[in-house]
Amino acid sequence: MRRLFADRLAFVTGVVVILMSILFAFSRVTL
Amino acid sequence: MLRYTVHGAVWVVLYLLFILAPLFALLAGSWPPARSFWTEFSVALGYSGLAMMGLQFGLTARFRYVTEPWGEDVIYHFHRQISLIAVGLVVAHPLIMFVVRPELLALPDYNEVPWGAVFAFLSLFSLIALVVTALWRAKLNIRYETWHLSHIVLAVVAVTGGLLHMVGWSFYLTDPWKRALWIGLTIFWIGLLLYVRIFKPLFMLRRPYRVTEVRKERGDTTTLVMQPEGHPGFRFTPGQFGWLTVWGSPFKITGHPFSFSSSAAVADGRVEMSIRDLGDFTSEICNVPVGHCVYLDGPYGAFTIGNPADMHVLIAGGVGVTPMMSMIRTLADRGDKRPVILLYGSKDWDSITFREELEALKERLNLTVIHVLATPPAGWTSEQGFINAEMLKRHLPPPFADHEYFICGPGVMMDAIEKALGEMNVPMSKYHSERYSFV
Repeated sequence: MRRLFADRLAFVTGVVVILMSILFAFSRVTL
Repeated sequence: MLRYTVHGAVWVVLYLLFILAPLFALLAGSWPPARSFWTEFSVALGYSGLAMMGLQFGLTARFRYVTEPWGEDVIYHFHRQISLIAVGLVVAHPLIMFVVRPELLALPDYNEVPWGAVFAFLSLFSLIALVVTALWRAKLNIRYETWHLSHIVLAVVAVTGGLLHMVGWSFYLTDPWKRALWIGLTIFWIGLLLYVRIFKPLFMLRRPYRVTEVRKERGDTTTLVMQPEGHPGFRFTPGQFGWLTVWGSPFKITGHPFSFSSSAAVADGRVEMSIRDLGDFTSEICNVPVGHCVYLDGPYGAFTIGNPADMHVLIAGGVGVTPMMSMIRTLADRGDKRPVILLYGSKDWDSITFREELEALKERLNLTVIHVLATPPAGWTSEQGFINAEMLKRHLPPPFADHEYFICGPGVMMDAIEKALGEMNVPMSKYHSERYSFV
């Protein structure tokens, strides 16, 4: 179960990083 | 528990900050001309993927403050999972670039290949080799020590290659301060590796231990009794573990994690580790001579006795009894009469490590021991087979969610018990497990 928490944390981290990369790219092309 | 939750949340925020802040720092100051969305997106993935790879050195640097809220096994599990995501991001970077700018695929003359591209290839190749050897080490039949060394070398090459690719391409890193930031970050990441591989071993070299007794136990297990030499040793809490280097200096990558099996209440710094012969390097442990010099890095781990008001349910499989033994011995030395139930799975009656001592300790503690045998002798009336939810319910007083559970044993057993506790509505905060199969 604790490892499941680590799995979820890794997944959420990956999603956050991808979203932030989209935000980065979006700011570059719009600002 | 609240302290660990806050502590853990702070580390998660810091971790994300260390990945994303260097990326968004690229947006400060002057900007190079904007390219397409997909080009910029792929570049952002490359930068953040590299930052994640670099921070892997921090996850495995054995910082107690980092590992404390979760336990080192969970940190290593996260290390494995997040590395797959990081490699995915890094690999996505060139793939997206090749789709949106196919002209990059046209290979120029060998002498004209920009060095930024050479380092990109080197970094990618190292990353892929890193993942393949980590995921399939056993199938590829690679010795643990060989794999460990190659893992470190490939990680350093991957991260350094990635940085040189960024500097070589020089699109975002033309500003000297941005270049300094990313070079500084890479030095910091490699510094974390140097800390665990150079500075820590240097510290350990000055704090050796001497083997004062080699004790044969039941179940192909040997206990090494180690006394600090020329230093007071360290204090550990029962259930914690240390990295033991038996042969050679602490600079050699031959340290392995083992639980302390001795009482934490011993005042002279003496520690014991009980190690089962599993047919690998552990088969040499019984040949360690008395007087031999060893090195210990520790203590580590969050697997330790909890609230004195709670019943402690210790569930051990095979040699997984060693951290439980440390807990039981410590409680006995402290005169702690909290109720303790040990469910202890073993192969057969003769291979129950610490069998006689556990019987003796029942006199000094509020301890119940339930032996569960895979191959019971004729006439055996106690438990047999595998520990499951029904067995737990037979021996534990309700409500089950009020007890604290400690589980240590083979991975399959731990998975089954964690599932059983879930079925019994025991909240995750009430059970603790530690796995030592880090790779």
